[in-house]
Amino acid sequence: MGSWITPTAYLLGIGWFFATSIILGLVLGKWADSITGLEPLFTLVGIMLGLAVAIYGGARMLLPFMRRLGDEPSEKR
Amino acid sequence: MKLVYIGGIAVGVLALLGLGLFIAQGPQPEIVVPAEVLFKIGPLNITNTLFTSWVVMALLIILTFAATRSMSLLPTGLQNFVEAVVGFLVAQIEDIAGEKNGRKFFTVVATIFLFVLVSNWFGLLPFFNSIGKTADVGHEIFAELASASPARLTLKDGVYTADKKFAGAKMQKSGSIVYAKPRAKTVDFTVKAGETPGRAMDRYIVFLARNFAAFDIPEAAVEDPTAEEIRVAADALKNSSTAPELLDASQVAAGGEAAAIKSPALGTEIAGVSFENSAKMAVVIPFFRGTFSDLNNTLALGIIAFVMIEIWGFQAQGFGYLKKFFDFSNPIKAFVGILELLSEFIRIVSFTFRLFGNIFAGEVLVLMLTFLMPFLFVDIIYGLELFVGFIQAAVFALLTLVFASMATEHHGEDEHHAGHQGEEATADAHHHQGAAQAH
Repeated sequence: MGSWITPTAYLLGIGWFFATSIILGLVLGKWADSITGLEPLFTLVGIMLGLAVAIYGGARMLLPFMRRLGDEPSEKR
Repeated sequence: MKLVYIGGIAVGVLALLGLGLFIAQGPQPEIVVPAEVLFKIGPLNITNTLFTSWVVMALLIILTFAATRSMSLLPTGLQNFVEAVVGFLVAQIEDIAGEKNGRKFFTVVATIFLFVLVSNWFGLLPFFNSIGKTADVGHEIFAELASASPARLTLKDGVYTADKKFAGAKMQKSGSIVYAKPRAKTVDFTVKAGETPGRAMDRYIVFLARNFAAFDIPEAAVEDPTAEEIRVAADALKNSSTAPELLDASQVAAGGEAAAIKSPALGTEIAGVSFENSAKMAVVIPFFRGTFSDLNNTLALGIIAFVMIEIWGFQAQGFGYLKKFFDFSNPIKAFVGILELLSEFIRIVSFTFRLFGNIFAGEVLVLMLTFLMPFLFVDIIYGLELFVGFIQAAVFALLTLVFASMATEHHGEDEHHAGHQGEEATADAHHHQGAAQAH
């Protein structure tokens, strides 16, 4: 969508993915802790899992984008 | 000459600032996160955001209908405009997803884009969040106190179990139109946990006297007034002709309020509060509110996007699609599968909160700045909101598109796909031959 809209929209979107992954992991971990009473075990596990999902999912979304970005100058030149 | 221009602009800015701050400042906004209920159809709450989304849908449908009713080969006017928009979207979507997939995704992705865009921009019109029906908070508080019974969730063994806050603006009445005065303050009253309805009524009397009649006690005494203070407050209400009136049982017989509450301090039964001759304490329930300032609507759209992506994934790969998530050939792949599965569901949440957060925050910002700095800064934020509305529509549609492309590509080949413009068409053709054979 235009030269700048696509990257802008894409990167803005991915930022939120990172945030939600980690926050969701934290919230679910807290919840699991409140049920099992094993604080802070599940909170930590949740954060770690959220972080893993954020990094993995983020990388998967970013790699094609970065590859494309790397291609562009050569096409334009 | 240049100095004259600069001086003129400065004077204009100052004039607008003064006009906004001292004359035309709006009432203090009341921020409500859940959408307000306009009316009910059976058990269904029809909220103002849902109502707005229907209006937007009707608008889009009518526009499309009008544009395609009498189509000509050489488009002019409305048809030309709609064709340009659709043509632009088709080109962009095909550019990212390839021709064959692009055409398949187009209907959903373009619908999401147009719906979100029109909703967001529509939500910036001036009658949003301002014009609506009024809900009488003053009566609501009395009804809550009067109908309190141990069976209710809010009351156990004669005392309230949880705080319940009521807030409203002081509103004037002009004929049949109720409006908030410029710079009107929001006032709020909280029914406290551990309090009996009678005690709450006593505090409510003090609250009314403080806000509507000439009665003033120190801030500290408001939360815990003595019997004497409550009696003085009740007298102040009685003596003021413009304050709400406390009604006893004999006065209410005709009106028919629900039940009376015995005030411990006054020793009398209060059967109602009449705002007939006074300013009201009310909130505006706007008829229109931005569709995506409601979490329910963004969640609905997120789930639609999620379901469509999964359907496309299955269509392209059959049950082989699940291999991406459940691959137990080695531990690393199994773990990656779990991450893949989790990220699939987190997408719904991130879709939901991204759109909601942006649109709701924008709405609050415009509302607050209209109150704090009318005319001046609000214009800048309005421009920003136009941009945010467009970008968020693009983000939602684009991410749906990209995730759909990811879901339809075969696992293991993704190293070489997604977004490669040059190789896209051929790569895509390969995928689809594969998919056709798999079916």
